[in-house]
Amino acid sequence: MTAALSGTARRRLALALALAVAVGLPALTNTYYVRLATGILMFAALACGWNLVGGYAGYPDFGAAAFLGIGAYTTGVLMARAAVPFPLALLAGAFLAVVAAVLMGAVLLRLRGHYFAIATLGFMLVLQQLAANLELTGGGSGMNLPVARSFTTFYYWMLGVCALAAAAGLFLPRLRVGYAIAAIRENQAAAEALGIAPLPYKIIAYSGSAFVFGLVGGVYAYWFTFIDPPTVFNVDFAIQAIVMTLFGGPATALGPVAGAIVLKSLDTVLTTVSIFLHNVFFGALVCLLVIFAPRGLADLRRARGGILAALRAALRENRI
Amino acid sequence: MSPELQIALQNAINGLLLGGTYALVAVGFSLVWGVLNVVNLAHGSLVMLGAYVTYWLYTRYRLDPFASLPLTGLALFGFGYPLQRLVINQVIRASFLITFLLTFGLDLLVTNLALAAWTADVRAVTTPYSGRSLALGPLALPLVRAIALLVALAGAALLQLLLTRTRLGSAIRATASDLEAARLMGIPVARVYALTFAIAAATAGVAGGLISLSFPIFPAMGAGYTLIAFVVCVLGGLGSVPGAFLGGLLLGLLQTYAAAWLGPNFDNIVAFSVLVLVLVVRPAGLLGRTERFRG
Repeated sequence: MTAALSGTARRRLALALALAVAVGLPALTNTYYVRLATGILMFAALACGWNLVGGYAGYPDFGAAAFLGIGAYTTGVLMARAAVPFPLALLAGAFLAVVAAVLMGAVLLRLRGHYFAIATLGFMLVLQQLAANLELTGGGSGMNLPVARSFTTFYYWMLGVCALAAAAGLFLPRLRVGYAIAAIRENQAAAEALGIAPLPYKIIAYSGSAFVFGLVGGVYAYWFTFIDPPTVFNVDFAIQAIVMTLFGGPATALGPVAGAIVLKSLDTVLTTVSIFLHNVFFGALVCLLVIFAPRGLADLRRARGGILAALRAALRENRI
Repeated sequence: MSPELQIALQNAINGLLLGGTYALVAVGFSLVWGVLNVVNLAHGSLVMLGAYVTYWLYTRYRLDPFASLPLTGLALFGFGYPLQRLVINQVIRASFLITFLLTFGLDLLVTNLALAAWTADVRAVTTPYSGRSLALGPLALPLVRAIALLVALAGAALLQLLLTRTRLGSAIRATASDLEAARLMGIPVARVYALTFAIAAATAGVAGGLISLSFPIFPAMGAGYTLIAFVVCVLGGLGSVPGAFLGGLLLGLLQTYAAAWLGPNFDNIVAFSVLVLVLVVRPAGLLGRTERFRG
């Protein structure tokens, strides 16, 4: 029966099936696996969010955790100090993340390459140190949030954020904004010659990414019920999102989700084996990935002449 | 001398001494960035390895930390050469995101292997003369840090001589300015890249040895130094040894005065506010040559 369907229809069917399985998952398994799945969805959402600015716009944000931290702390402060209901606090956090992205983006997005990457990292470290020195945030000792009644709800929150982020990646390339952003990524000078003012479009991509990171931060804070500066303003969130995006294919809608599912599952297995080993493994994986598959695993599959030939070609491509 | 003036002068001394170490950390980073066009995020882990080499030579073999610096440099040279030749060279022509990620992965590997081998314990190299300081009237000049500054200056001067007065230096500079032209002139560019990286690793190792005398040693100590090296390069301008040195001194002074005025917990805020300000307002660095990084 599937043979009768066109490629697009088949892809839509697969997507609907995956979504149905995702929605039904908590009813099918126990809390341990729901918790694992929540973690995978969290990183899938981060990877999709990072992909908006790092993949589609080609501006690799190494300080994306700045927005996760803003979302987490806004949600935390509003819930713990002002008893604001969670959904409202979550939205406020994501909104503040977008405001920060617009303000900082107007400055940082004028830089490029290494300079953009490090400046974003610096911005995140500044926020980390601020959070560690302010009274409102509880300083270096962190802050506690109210404990939720059910942890399955977090699964659905993360699923919602992830679906939103993936949908953004799915629809962006079909919108006028998406064409402008792609043009800027491919050749900014040429895009400018066509009358595209680059900065506003880059800010849109950066803000979209910040919105997703802000949402994830808010859900994360309520889920873990405790946050402190080094755990939420953590460079690892950006790095993991980058590696997952690269693994699955940057500037594709579902590549980052696939990357997150594969890598997070692998990571979970390795963490149960050894906590040291899992970091060593992650380091080695990053190295191997960029050496042998700098454009992602999906790209290797498409290569002619089999995987081995593709690996050899990737190795030859970038060395002198 | 009024107490205010005394404190201000003492801070100047402390800042310059701190800056000397920063400078030596940054010269190698700047060299790799300028010649190979690689921002080496594993630079700090090379500094960490240098600190551990010095530490083990001192605790196991009673070798004086200053006397063992050449050995430390040599060890890191031996580590850096194959690292570039066999690993980093595989992605050397790829986009900056790829080289960035590769060096981040290397940093993660080296740091976590060090953690597995030497534990997270914080160590220190404490010599019989560690606490001593020279009196300059009402001011104090900590002995170990003063010698460290002199060593850093000597190291930077040697590197500058190597780059400007030797055949290898000419080859490095030629490769930096035009890879293809250098290759056509018969320069073995792959070997020049590896040698440049190894030299940078050696300076990082020596910097780590000096740091081990005044600062705590632990596997994750490197990350902070990588970021400092970056800020120094932006301040001083890319790819020049004197620039990196002046940038280092400047950052040392800035951080020391900021700590005195604002409190000790604002060092990152100050460093990165300065970084972003310089990037946006004065693209070529405070002292550097023009370089395009606006987009």
